[in-house]
Amino acid sequence: MSQLNYRTINIDALDPESSTNFPMESLLPANLPQAASASDAASAATQVRQMLRGGDPEGALQTVLDTAPLGGDDRAKEVHLATVIDVLQGIRQGEMTRILEGVCSGDGGAERADCLMKYLYKGMSSSASGSGAQSPKKSVSPQATGFSQIQARNLGEGGGGQQMSVLLSWHEKLVEIAGTGSIVRVMTDRRTV
Amino acid sequence: MTTPQVHHLFHAPIADHSFSTDKQTLAVARENNVELYQQSGNKFALSDELKGHEKTVTSVDIAPNSGRIVTCSQDRNAYVWEKTPSGWKPTLVLLRINRAATFVRWSPSEQKFAVGSGARVIAVCYFEEENDWWISKHLKKPIRSTITTLAWHPNSVLLAAGSTDSHARVFSSFIKGIDTRPEPSAWGERLPFNTICGEYLNDTAGWIQGVAFSPSGNALAFTGHDSSVTVVYPSAPEQPPRAMLNISTRMLPLNSLIWNGETEIIAAGHDCEPFRFRGDENGWQLAGSLENKAGDAGGAREESALNMFRQMDLKGQASADTKLKSTHQNTVNTIRVHEEANGAVSSFSTSGVDGRVVVWSA
Repeated sequence: MSQLNYRTINIDALDPESSTNFPMESLLPANLPQAASASDAASAATQVRQMLRGGDPEGALQTVLDTAPLGGDDRAKEVHLATVIDVLQGIRQGEMTRILEGVCSGDGGAERADCLMKYLYKGMSSSASGSGAQSPKKSVSPQATGFSQIQARNLGEGGGGQQMSVLLSWHEKLVEIAGTGSIVRVMTDRRTV
Repeated sequence: MTTPQVHHLFHAPIADHSFSTDKQTLAVARENNVELYQQSGNKFALSDELKGHEKTVTSVDIAPNSGRIVTCSQDRNAYVWEKTPSGWKPTLVLLRINRAATFVRWSPSEQKFAVGSGARVIAVCYFEEENDWWISKHLKKPIRSTITTLAWHPNSVLLAAGSTDSHARVFSSFIKGIDTRPEPSAWGERLPFNTICGEYLNDTAGWIQGVAFSPSGNALAFTGHDSSVTVVYPSAPEQPPRAMLNISTRMLPLNSLIWNGETEIIAAGHDCEPFRFRGDENGWQLAGSLENKAGDAGGAREESALNMFRQMDLKGQASADTKLKSTHQNTVNTIRVHEEANGAVSSFSTSGVDGRVVVWSA
């Protein structure tokens, strides 16, 4: 005898007009680069770390932002996030403004600024889970909304605290240069990092 | 630059505003009603109220020549109001939508108007003589979400729409017997109803909040929740556009925009002040704010010592920092051309959440 609890049926999933069935891929622009794999991200990471060791933090930051796997899979994105955070942590506080001005100017500078802002928010949303095992993902809404950038917020206690303060000081400097428009675009842009 | 004329009408949000051709009447959407203000001297005084909608009125438009007013509301209805000796008389429009109506604009010919809605359709409405009512035809096809904004091409056939699916689209709203066949243009040659003449998406994909055709109709600009303005120059029917230029700004998102000639755009939004953009097919740039803030700083009023201590006693601070430096004190929702000649705007009006309508010289 089957017992069906009608209260637990997700009626939105059955309604083609429902907003939960909105095709999110329709928000991706046609010029999205080819999907990058995790090994692509790893080779980019080696290159970037070399530049960082060679004393070229500006070049390292520029390269890591230009090679962001906007069309990549989750694994590639995770590897690349770790590289970006390494670069950000490898730059001294006193040099941040000078380097940011260099990276966010010139051809494609505005896109790099927006891209860095995406990494700052992603870094802040996932900093604690980076050190240990992935904590069980707490979803804000009962159903998956498709907005992958909204994740359970972590207040940065424990190991993530230092990384969080680095990200926050980058955030402050970046807002001075790229403005609030850049923050707004992190929310609208579906080319996630 | 002359100072803008500020009309602070009330302390409630203004969803939309519209001036009559002679600029003597101002229609303002306030909650469930539309209020009509009449100019007397430098001020606007409340003269009439259009009551009939049961939910928030989302948009209002006065036809420049006939003087008819069209309103639409979250109660899923639209009314056409006509002035009679005994007052304004509404005519119900058969919209056939099951969600809120969000935006309405008369076509330049005034034979039709278009109503955007949350039901993922645009109702193009026209008057049917035999039955003596306004009926609608739906533009439906690729729309995936709520229509937030609409703009008419000067030929009254092409209609631009912005949506929360982040696409700006150009449709044909050609209705047999109402419209004359339009001249072929870069948007299309044969234009049966619901032809999609263009569909555009930004890289950063924000909800589209404002669209506008350039005065010639040969370019389209749209702005959205990604704090950017995009300008599209179509090349030929069914071809990718000749140029699609995106200006991403460092400001908060812009809600509404107008063209001033073919090389200037004025837009306003969450930063509470209008901004000017200049450019052409080869590139567009933000040219700055139209707000004259220097005057404000100089006019900082001298506080008397008594007043200062009284403030400190009452509020714990010497001066309450609750006033923005801009003319509008909250988000600007609508920007409209006020006076123009051959596409060159000499003045424009804005209204916003702060209950103010401001007339600016461009």
